[in-house]
Amino acid sequence: MFNLPTENIGGQELFVLEFGDIVNYFSPYTAALFAFALIFTALAIVSRPERQVDIAFGGDAYYAKEVDVDLLRFQRFMAIACGLATLGAMVSGDVFNFTLFASLVGITNIGIVAAYKNKHVLNAAFQYGIVAMLATVPLFGGAAIILASTGTLSMWELFADGVVVPIIAKAFLVIGVMGEGMAPFYVAKAEITRAQGAPFILMVHVSSLLLFLRVIEIVISM
Amino acid sequence: MAIPPYTLGLLVAVAGLIIGFMAIVRERDDLHRILLTDLAEVLALVLIALVATDLAEALILPGLVVGISELMAVSEVYIAKEGLRKPPAKPAFRIEIMDSAPGILALILVAYGIVLSGFTGGVVAAVGAVFYFMCRDHAERFELIETVSGYAWAIWIGAFFIFMFLPGYWLFGVMMAGGAILLKVMAKMSLVGTMRGGSNV
Amino acid sequence: MKANQSIISRISAAVSRVENLTALYALFFVVVAVLGLVTLPSITYYDDQLYPKTIIPESSLNPYDRGGVPFETTPVKAQYPENSPYVGYVTTYLTPLSQWLADHTHHFGTTIVAHPGGIIDEILYNTRGLDTVVETSILFVAFGIASYLFRRDD
Repeated sequence: MFNLPTENIGGQELFVLEFGDIVNYFSPYTAALFAFALIFTALAIVSRPERQVDIAFGGDAYYAKEVDVDLLRFQRFMAIACGLATLGAMVSGDVFNFTLFASLVGITNIGIVAAYKNKHVLNAAFQYGIVAMLATVPLFGGAAIILASTGTLSMWELFADGVVVPIIAKAFLVIGVMGEGMAPFYVAKAEITRAQGAPFILMVHVSSLLLFLRVIEIVISM
Repeated sequence: MAIPPYTLGLLVAVAGLIIGFMAIVRERDDLHRILLTDLAEVLALVLIALVATDLAEALILPGLVVGISELMAVSEVYIAKEGLRKPPAKPAFRIEIMDSAPGILALILVAYGIVLSGFTGGVVAAVGAVFYFMCRDHAERFELIETVSGYAWAIWIGAFFIFMFLPGYWLFGVMMAGGAILLKVMAKMSLVGTMRGGSNV
Repeated sequence: MKANQSIISRISAAVSRVENLTALYALFFVVVAVLGLVTLPSITYYDDQLYPKTIIPESSLNPYDRGGVPFETTPVKAQYPENSPYVGYVTTYLTPLSQWLADHTHHFGTTIVAHPGGIIDEILYNTRGLDTVVETSILFVAFGIASYLFRRDD
């Protein structure tokens, strides 16, 4: 059983972690993504927030903004949770489990941004939150169509040659991940990066990028 | 030619999704967008339910919970964004029984909830907790609920590891998970309708 | 907005407004779903599903009766049964209260999901336990966000 059916994109599995029906795997590809996520999670744990400086125009004066300790702790918690969710999504070997991890990434991203009091940032966080909620629909819908049409959710079975996964299910998965990770929607991100707290904001970008790379692997292998 | 039931269901569900998402495209009001999003999520559950096995039934639960929890977070963001924070208001009414009854009634309800255990138990126990909070002064109650919720989460993870690494102790795992879901549902249900800027919080 | 703008700058102006983000995403989904609509008839239901549902109308555990007695096992069609050596034990388990209810009423099956034990718990806690862990974490995180925003002094 433990023989990854496809070697084209992910390579052979290096290590297998089994939790009942959900069998996670590390192939060279997923292990590399996992290592990236691990590095950035570690960075989120150890880093200190940046301090924004406002310069008064036309003079020498500048104001350094104070860093709110409560906000800092909350954001760090969300960033670490986001990192852990990304770690889980990178090595998940089950489609439904992957969609759940993607939703967790989405909601922790909302948390990182929503912590600010700035009205523009809050508005962006809200719109982003709606998109993240909408994105769970294609994610779960895609997983459900895969389950109904192939009778399994495990990637070990789905990657085998004989199994045909409907194209609409694949498209749904990709759209869902795009919504959760906001990969192509940089509009919201521009608004989000206006907020202070660089290392934690960074986590939003890293997680969405890694999530997107991973879903591409899944969709191509299926 | 007869259409297979699954295909028919799928067509109806996807047509519903298209209608629902079209509504979201046209909607401009933020509050209505939240409501429409919640409606669209029901259709994702329909897609899961179309599989019609025990597994589908077990997958609906996470799907539902994800939708509800995101709704909770996003609506709180909406409240913060719009600045819809009411000034602390006095309780609507004050009668004598609200001073004497809460302790014992809450105790009975919580004890009965523990006997029932699981989801229903959590709801029954939550009614007791809500009643208690409603009648008594509820200083710092959210910190308490947060703590309880954190413990429930930790117990759940513990139950998961028992199932995975010590499967022989499955009964212990079931009991831990049952207890944790009781705490979890209780903590969440006690928030329903109370999270809107009362006093002391 | 000026009237003589080119179509591209008008599109980019609309796309750059964060308020249009939701509509944009929903529109994107609608386009994909409409395109996918034509492929739907070709999707066939796979008959040999995991965890199939059986209905035994005369059983007091009706929609969830999977056979077996408490503390014994029963066959469960899991994806990888070799990973869960004790699969089936949770399915048959009933708490003393549930057992009593099942013996004395005919409708216990409708509430079995609310009590420890049963096939749904088997899937949720045992064979697909990681799903439930992630689900609980999502709830925990969402609750953390909501209570942080709620408790923050404005």
